[in-house]
Amino acid sequence: MLELQIAGRSFGQPVLGEVFATIERGDRICLLGPSGIGKTTLLNAIAGLDKTIPTEAIIGREKLRVGYLFQEHRLLPWRTLNANLRLVGASEREAESLLGEVGLAGYGHYLPDQLSLGMARRAALARCLAVKPDLLLLDEPFASLDPVMAGELKTLIARILDAKPEMAMICVTHDGGDAEILANRLWYLDGKPARLQWDDRVGGEPGLIDGLLGKLRRLDLAGS
Amino acid sequence: MSTSNGRPPAWSYWVVLPSFVLVWGLVAWWLKSPLLPTPMNVLDTLIRESASGELWHHLGATLGRVIVAFVLAMLLGTAIGIVMGRSKTTNALFDPMLVLLLNLPALVTIILMYVWFGLVEVAAVMAVVINKVPNVAVTVREGARSLDYRLEEMATVYDFTRWQRFRDVWVPQLFPYLMAATRGGLALIWKIVLVVELLGRSDGIGFQLHLAFQVFDVASILAYSVAFIAVVQLIELVILQPLDRRSSRWRQPEAAHA
Repeated sequence: MLELQIAGRSFGQPVLGEVFATIERGDRICLLGPSGIGKTTLLNAIAGLDKTIPTEAIIGREKLRVGYLFQEHRLLPWRTLNANLRLVGASEREAESLLGEVGLAGYGHYLPDQLSLGMARRAALARCLAVKPDLLLLDEPFASLDPVMAGELKTLIARILDAKPEMAMICVTHDGGDAEILANRLWYLDGKPARLQWDDRVGGEPGLIDGLLGKLRRLDLAGS
Repeated sequence: MSTSNGRPPAWSYWVVLPSFVLVWGLVAWWLKSPLLPTPMNVLDTLIRESASGELWHHLGATLGRVIVAFVLAMLLGTAIGIVMGRSKTTNALFDPMLVLLLNLPALVTIILMYVWFGLVEVAAVMAVVINKVPNVAVTVREGARSLDYRLEEMATVYDFTRWQRFRDVWVPQLFPYLMAATRGGLALIWKIVLVVELLGRSDGIGFQLHLAFQVFDVASILAYSVAFIAVVQLIELVILQPLDRRSSRWRQPEAAHA
């Protein structure tokens, strides 16, 4: 569905090295790695936001509909939730039902800044779904939420993924536990410049991912 | 001097200006000079001119020029400001020109327009527009530079059309800058329009001031000025302030889930 052939990306000094990978429909990738290694940079590149990366480097992106959940909600603060969803192509009725899907039924006439952080993030998730995405990009969707809210959002995203098996997902996270619930494939980004040090399918065995992450992180220590 | 809701008491708006009129009246009454008419004289002149229809004719002519010049200047200035604010190359290309135009005296533009195009309406309005466009462009450019890149990325990912990006992403962010340009613009434009009329038109308030100046008719000068100040104040109260309130409502939404 999507093929990455990124030659690299630098901000003064090289940040991303070569990244080659193929993303298939139904892939649920969790992208892990140390802070500041370039996970968001990679996500922006895949989303087509990085103008320095040629379009040929992300083969197949033009044909895909992409829903991107940014770290901040990035809803237009001067438009209601309904209007925000309609702006990306949802009809009035679709907007209502999408808000219902993320647990915000009846909040359509609220402005984004009237919502709590967790609610705003769910509203932004509803906007991702409004474009009927082939590829869902999530940038630390559980950051700065309290454990209860993060847990609810995790369940919600897992439910959405189960309901749309054709959709692919790439989720940036720090927490192996997130990957255990959401992922069927793991990417580990590390190094200077950063490359995918690990790209493989993962099963459902509990503890496997944490063990793996432990190994990958020690590798990093040994290398530096 | 402020009540609990942070707003000054209503009467505070009615202290300084009425006192000023009172002092003016007393001084004029004491001097008894035709060069300083009393407020009552000015009011009489205003009523007389208004009854004869002269006031409305000239007020209308001036207002028409102000509106046309204002709309043209805002449209052009906003377009130039956005382009210059968004593109560093365009900004570098046209910035020296902008500085030149900003510092070009209004009087020079007016004289040149009249010399080159004759004493015609188009020349008059053009002169005003050329004077105002750089101010609007500079103000809007400031706004266009500070557009939130995060919302730009969002609009790119979600394939906003150009029109959506303009109307839903840019205009709300530029709104304070557009309002500043509007307020400053209205005040500046009508003053320039008067000069334009004084130099080369046969109607409008500037023309009337010219006539009054020739016979030192200070009461008429003040009456016409007061009339137009009232019009601008009316525009502020009836159009700009409601627009301001409506468009900044989202800034202070009642917190529902804080």
